[in-house]
Amino acid sequence: MEIVFLLEQVVNGLVLGGYYLLLALGLSLIFSVGGIVNLAHGAFYALGAYVSLEVIKHAGFSASIFITPALVGLLGILFERYLLRRFYTADPILSLLVTFGLAMVAEQLLRMIWGSAPLASTMPPEFKGQLIAGDMMFSKYRLFILGVVTVVMAGIWLLLHKTSFGRVVRAGVQKPDMVAVLGIKLQPYMTAIVMLGVATAALGGVLFGPISIVHPAMGTEIMTVAFVVVVIGGLGSFWGVVVAALLVGVVRGITIHFQPAAGEASMYVLMFLVLMFRPRGLLGERIERFE
Amino acid sequence: MSALLNSKYRPLWIAALALVVLPIVFQAIGLTLDAATVVIILAMAAMGLNLLVGYTGLVSFGHSAWFGIGGYAAALAQLHWFKDQIVLSFAFSILFTATLSLLVGFLILRRRGVYFSLLTLALCALTFAIAFRWTALTGGEGGLGGIERGAIGPIDLNGHLTYYVFTALIAFAVLYALLRVVRSPFGHVLVAIRENEQRATFQGYDIDKYKLLAFVISAAITGLAGALVVFLHRLAAAESTTVAFSGELLAMVVIGGMRSFLGPALGALFFLLFRELFSIYTDNWLLYFGLIFVGFIVFSPVGLTGIWDQLRRRFSPPPEDGAAMSKRKIYEGLPLPEFLRPKRVEGAVLEAQGISKHFGGIQAVRENSLKVEAGQIHALIGPNGAGKTTTFNLISGMFMPDTGTVRLHGQAIQQLAPDRICQQGLARSFQITNLFKGLTIYENLRLSLQARHTARFDFWRDIDSYPEIHAETAELMKFLGLQGMEEVGGGDLSYGGQRLVDLGIALGSKPQVLLMDEPLAGLAAGERERVSRLVTTIASNIPVLIVEHDIDRVLGFSHRVTVMNQGEVLMSGTPDEVRNDARVQEIYTGTGTPPVTGRSSVASGDRPLVLDFDKVNAFYGKSHILNDASLQVREGEIVALLGRNGAGKSTLLKSLVGLVPPASGRVNFNGREIAGQSAPDIARIGIGYVPQGRGLFAGMTVAENLALGRLARPTDGKTGVVWDEAQILEYFPRLKVRMNVAADYLSGGEQQMVAVARALSGNVKLLLLDEPFEGLAPTVVQELFTVFDKLRQHVSIVIVEHNLDLVLALADRVYALERGAVFHEGAAEPLLTDLDYRKKILWL
Repeated sequence: MEIVFLLEQVVNGLVLGGYYLLLALGLSLIFSVGGIVNLAHGAFYALGAYVSLEVIKHAGFSASIFITPALVGLLGILFERYLLRRFYTADPILSLLVTFGLAMVAEQLLRMIWGSAPLASTMPPEFKGQLIAGDMMFSKYRLFILGVVTVVMAGIWLLLHKTSFGRVVRAGVQKPDMVAVLGIKLQPYMTAIVMLGVATAALGGVLFGPISIVHPAMGTEIMTVAFVVVVIGGLGSFWGVVVAALLVGVVRGITIHFQPAAGEASMYVLMFLVLMFRPRGLLGERIERFE
Repeated sequence: MSALLNSKYRPLWIAALALVVLPIVFQAIGLTLDAATVVIILAMAAMGLNLLVGYTGLVSFGHSAWFGIGGYAAALAQLHWFKDQIVLSFAFSILFTATLSLLVGFLILRRRGVYFSLLTLALCALTFAIAFRWTALTGGEGGLGGIERGAIGPIDLNGHLTYYVFTALIAFAVLYALLRVVRSPFGHVLVAIRENEQRATFQGYDIDKYKLLAFVISAAITGLAGALVVFLHRLAAAESTTVAFSGELLAMVVIGGMRSFLGPALGALFFLLFRELFSIYTDNWLLYFGLIFVGFIVFSPVGLTGIWDQLRRRFSPPPEDGAAMSKRKIYEGLPLPEFLRPKRVEGAVLEAQGISKHFGGIQAVRENSLKVEAGQIHALIGPNGAGKTTTFNLISGMFMPDTGTVRLHGQAIQQLAPDRICQQGLARSFQITNLFKGLTIYENLRLSLQARHTARFDFWRDIDSYPEIHAETAELMKFLGLQGMEEVGGGDLSYGGQRLVDLGIALGSKPQVLLMDEPLAGLAAGERERVSRLVTTIASNIPVLIVEHDIDRVLGFSHRVTVMNQGEVLMSGTPDEVRNDARVQEIYTGTGTPPVTGRSSVASGDRPLVLDFDKVNAFYGKSHILNDASLQVREGEIVALLGRNGAGKSTLLKSLVGLVPPASGRVNFNGREIAGQSAPDIARIGIGYVPQGRGLFAGMTVAENLALGRLARPTDGKTGVVWDEAQILEYFPRLKVRMNVAADYLSGGEQQMVAVARALSGNVKLLLLDEPFEGLAPTVVQELFTVFDKLRQHVSIVIVEHNLDLVLALADRVYALERGAVFHEGAAEPLLTDLDYRKKILWL
């Protein structure tokens, strides 16, 4: 087994991890701020992929990268305002159930609007082809995805840690009462974070459409992986999610290559193992309400 | 016959009727007999799921895994071992599912709540992945075919009707078994776990075992349903293990009604009818079904049966608290029921020796020893931060001590889990009411009495076949003065009633020693009287350890008092000894010598009113904390808020800033009425707040914390005083080099400075300080003292502080609170200079 080959697999695994990261980050954000595990997150991802197909027809791929997440983000605002907000202080079980139900509904809606048959998304021509570095060969598009994911991740990190907005959000996660007595109303920040989380998921759909199959159940499929990532990394932890996403991506990528049938199962095994030894995930925090 | 017809077994009659009528009705509306069979199968699966979701409160998103596993197990058993046999295949399937769920349950039940639910989701996806991909075993996408129904004796199961009858009979048997489980002591404990897991543990139930058994039974029932469907279609396929199907099962449970026995069956019927009838009109029936599911969760989580119950209640309302109170019969002066009296012992019943505990870097409790003797009421008192609650929690099993032992009748209990401690004979009541709110008072008490009974694991016999438990419950209710109120829900009681029930639950464990955590807190005078008498009666048989802030009363009825201060035991003696001990008086009222100096001249004259806080009442849930509290603050003065713990000082501040809404009364700030406004709005008009513990944001630097103080409030200085960065550094030069250090790494004094500076970063006309000197070194105290003194001219200050020597030297006027009402108001000076006067007013 050559090193080169292994390296290629690792990079592909990282790309796969990047894929999961976009979703898991959004999930983790929504969880940190609202305390809700959004089981409907995959629906926004799927919506991103579908809407992107439409946008591409009119404005091209590069435009879709910006327009689609913005559109879906707007939907996220409605989602927060009319659905999520009712459940911030309710029994966590109810919020799980409602987002789960919403995921069901969303899948059916997609099926109704765009049909059950998988749709092909073409790769934008400027990204076709390989990049050759020494003995190694990488798909240009996959590298592009990796680049975008890194930029988004850095952007979110900067937003949370270097801006006033991010400070309010982090403060609100810890001590919402204290934030209130400083005169800050937290609700608009929460809406913004949900919008951001949802838009990130949609971006995932836009980017991964061309290399996967766009079909109504894609949201549910990605959700289970996203949850595995969040649970391994730890609910509420930024770096935990990053590490977990990359870990899952690499493990899965390598396993699929050697034993394809076990590919899917491998990450569940990984998750069970992590949970048995580190119950709150690799870097997760103890959040009383959820235990 | 009448016994069978009564309401206990009504579900069976309804089910029997439904099973007979179903195929007839279905065929009449054009559906097949097989569709009716599917309804029964889905109903069984949903009811199995509901044992976990509705009864135990564990939401499983992965139950289709068991449905599929049960089916595949039966199929494989037939194909490989039991050719053409159905019964043996089923038997194998049940056994296999039960065993597998035992192992899996053992692993994943260690996590609770959301984590548990996510793990079930993963389990489901994993099962699907295996079913879909492990083609050699499961037939992959195509599934396993070639299943034969065979025959049982002379009866051939291949007919539609015969298979329907076969399924119906099995379902009925399962229903009967499930009914027995739900009505058994075990079933009632599951509900207790759902309502209040912590209290169930403290009453002696080993909840892990209960949850595991519920998990296994639930999985086995759903697995059996899965096997039935495989033999119906003669095919085992991966579709039955999808997450989507799990969702459908959950939807059936929710729509039908989680809290009712037959609800999920109704949900299954609804689902199938919906599917069969709607799919004629539209391909998107699942969309509409999903919308209904979401609709139910948002608007009516109780489901169809819940809606039906609500409608019924509208037409024949059950007794409410008020009406129930009128049926209440109070017997005064009853002795403790016989069955609650432990065997009489002499000497020490409970003994703690040398227990210590530290949290993080703080030593909360240091080398404490305490002895509770037979026939004794032993009170544990001490000022704020003394460590009494921690000591109490160490003894009762909430935390484990770092060192030392706790012995009950000579047996060491400090390492035991709370449920074991309760079984050993130590019970505790809780300060914040910790009942099973959704259950009736009767059930609350019965559960506690059941926990010490050998039948507590019984999952077959009906609870009514234990008349002795019922008799004990009735007697306990009579003793507590709650007779006649059996059917009232725990959450519907008045606060006083809830405390009585809380006490009753602890008593129901038949303890050898009873620990009571602030039993008198928040009670009205009459109720306080009642509870004190109850405690005295109880203590004649069961020794009691009681933590209380209401020192007067507790010194009145205890036999022995231990006083704690700063984590250590100061002294232990009779109430009179304690009352007259100079050291004890000192820790509550100070020495008379102020530790700091340098106060500017006293403000005098008539100054404009900044704050008029008038007859405010505030509640935490049902606990009445502020009682017509009134207070006024003028410009240029510092007002101190005094009082013991639990008096309501912090709550007063919180109701002022809008964190606790005033239930009644007026709060007038600078001529504006602010009662009921939100906290951000109140902050913006000029009230600054530094809470107890400072409230700094971890992971952020000093500069970042300060920036948040400037963000949303006006900083122009027009509606109050504001500090810009230059001024902050002028008052607190130490912070200059700390600007970019994370707040968590600062010393206590520096943190306090940052908290004050942050509060003053926006316009402030009234500054509220809650225990600002807590835990600080003397030099820092002096610094802060000078700063607050200087601020006085520009900003009015309200300060809560328990160090009387210190705060009386700083304040102009004081208000003293007790039980949420002001009992003394006046100038600070006389209290500062005349120690006897101070003791007269503030000490007992």
